Amino acid sequence: MTRNGTSIEAAHATVRQLIAEKLSYLVPMAVIFMVGYIGLTILAGFAKDLMGTKVIGSVNLGFVLIAFNYLMSWVLAIIYGRIAAGKFDPLATRAALEVAGRGN
Amino acid sequence: MSLTLAIFTVILLITLGITYWAAKRTSTTADFYAADSQLTAAQNGFALAGDWCSAAAFLGFTGLTALFGMDGAFYALGPLVAFCTVLFLIAEPMRNTGRYTLGDIIRSRMQTRASLLAAIVGTVVVNFAYLMPQMAGAGALVRLLTGISYDWAVIFVGVSMIIYVAFGGMLATTWVQIVKAVLMLSAGAIILVMVLSLVHFNPLTLFADAEQKYGAKYLLPGNYLKIPFDQISLGLGYVLGLAGLPHVMTRFYTVPDARTARRSVVWVMFLAGSFFAGTTLFGLAAANFVGQDAIRVADKGGNLTLPLLAQYLGGGKGTFGGDLMLGFVAAVAVATILAVVSALTLSTSGAIAHDFYVNWVKRGQVDGRQEVWIARVAAVVIGVLAIALGILAQGVNVAVLVILAICVAASANFPVLILSLFWRRFNTGGVVGGMTVGLSSSVVLAMIGPAMRGADALWPLVNPTVVSLPLGFLGAVLGTLMWGRDAENEQRFDAFLLQVHTGVTPK
Repeated sequence: MTRNGTSIEAAHATVRQLIAEKLSYLVPMAVIFMVGYIGLTILAGFAKDLMGTKVIGSVNLGFVLIAFNYLMSWVLAIIYGRIAAGKFDPLATRAALEVAGRGN
Repeated sequence: MSLTLAIFTVILLITLGITYWAAKRTSTTADFYAADSQLTAAQNGFALAGDWCSAAAFLGFTGLTALFGMDGAFYALGPLVAFCTVLFLIAEPMRNTGRYTLGDIIRSRMQTRASLLAAIVGTVVVNFAYLMPQMAGAGALVRLLTGISYDWAVIFVGVSMIIYVAFGGMLATTWVQIVKAVLMLSAGAIILVMVLSLVHFNPLTLFADAEQKYGAKYLLPGNYLKIPFDQISLGLGYVLGLAGLPHVMTRFYTVPDARTARRSVVWVMFLAGSFFAGTTLFGLAAANFVGQDAIRVADKGGNLTLPLLAQYLGGGKGTFGGDLMLGFVAAVAVATILAVVSALTLSTSGAIAHDFYVNWVKRGQVDGRQEVWIARVAAVVIGVLAIALGILAQGVNVAVLVILAICVAASANFPVLILSLFWRRFNTGGVVGGMTVGLSSSVVLAMIGPAMRGADALWPLVNPTVVSLPLGFLGAVLGTLMWGRDAENEQRFDAFLLQVHTGVTPK
């Protein structure tokens, strides 16, 4: 019973570590996509002329930023997948083992 | 017309065959609601793409771009960015914590009846607000494409959806979505190649031609969303609201673990995202080749833009190639609606049968065999109700309901879900407060806004999310504080966190 109690405590500690780890990556990533996308909508609402600045041929800054948002979402998704597999999954597995009482 | 019907009949026969196959494999509640959690990441990714792209996405984005330029591209971009929210915050915790519904998560966090009821209300309101315009859209679209009358079109769509869900449960719904996603992506790929071949594979030409034909203003923002705050509100509604749609959350229960849930989101981001990006080019191409006037003549809202573009690419009106392409795209549009309404019906039957009847009324005292039966009955009842509402909705302005669905999802479901997953002190009072304030502010603001009242609007924004979302969070926080400290709930939070982040339930 005592051993089980301590391994649960260990699992909770691991989960806290996992959450801290998640926050350290997810907060900056969430800030990036919120600034990227909501920023785009603010520019579209309040800076129409700027958005109309020609960049390549008839393609204006607005469409370039839209294309950038597509790329940003895809790149963030791939980065998140890698970080999750490399950093989060091992911690989650460790916590699960600790709950089972086999963690050390 | 007859080609459309022929192609659609083939699609219908395939989906009914799938339903027959799925029905034989659906016997437990886990089968019915979650396809026994046995799907792969790719299967769920395709199904999510099928789920995500309603007719509004398949037909609407292209039409908006063709008629209003850049604003259409904004509409198309939103759902992809929204998947970042789903990937970072929703997919894995959903898989780890719940079984079949949003109500499951709230219930396992709060363990109170009031909070479960709040989650049921949030699910049912969002799903019906989403289902009704889909049914009305289906009626109008099928009539336009095949010549069948509106009422019969709604009945036809409703009956097909009931058959898929009641007999085949989640397995049939999933495969209907996968078939639809494959068809939709193939149609998109074919159209893209044909469009690009017309401009010698230089997409910049599409922009230059459009500018020449309609002026530089066409490529600027604000042609559709004229009030700046509407742009921002739309953006917020998208990135947070789509993460609060119950029928999308449910999809994460169909995979075995969090890792697969995560990978399925990456799949859908590439599948659906590519299609969305394509719609912007299709819209420009349609404006150039078909012309805005011809698009408006066919349908004022531009909903027939993509079929018309397909017809043009196939060789034009009256040619076999043109009719074939038109028929194909039109049939895919109908399949699109079928897949989405099936998912909505299944998710609503989860809220009614599993959350409300079994867990709220019966307090969980129902055996599995009986629960499946109840779920099937619920699906039939919801389907019949959806048919009735769809028929009543003819000629009624349903645009306000679409806005309402997204707005309530963002302002009520999203705050409650996020705070449940991340805030230790969050309690039953917070769930009820967030749901009540988020829901009522969305409904009131949408009702007095321009989508409902047109020029007599008492409130300027079409989409009220920019105001109702902060109100929803405020309601959740105030409700939590007024409810007072709930020591037992806070103590349980460690065990809940363990489950959210690892999928393990400590015993």
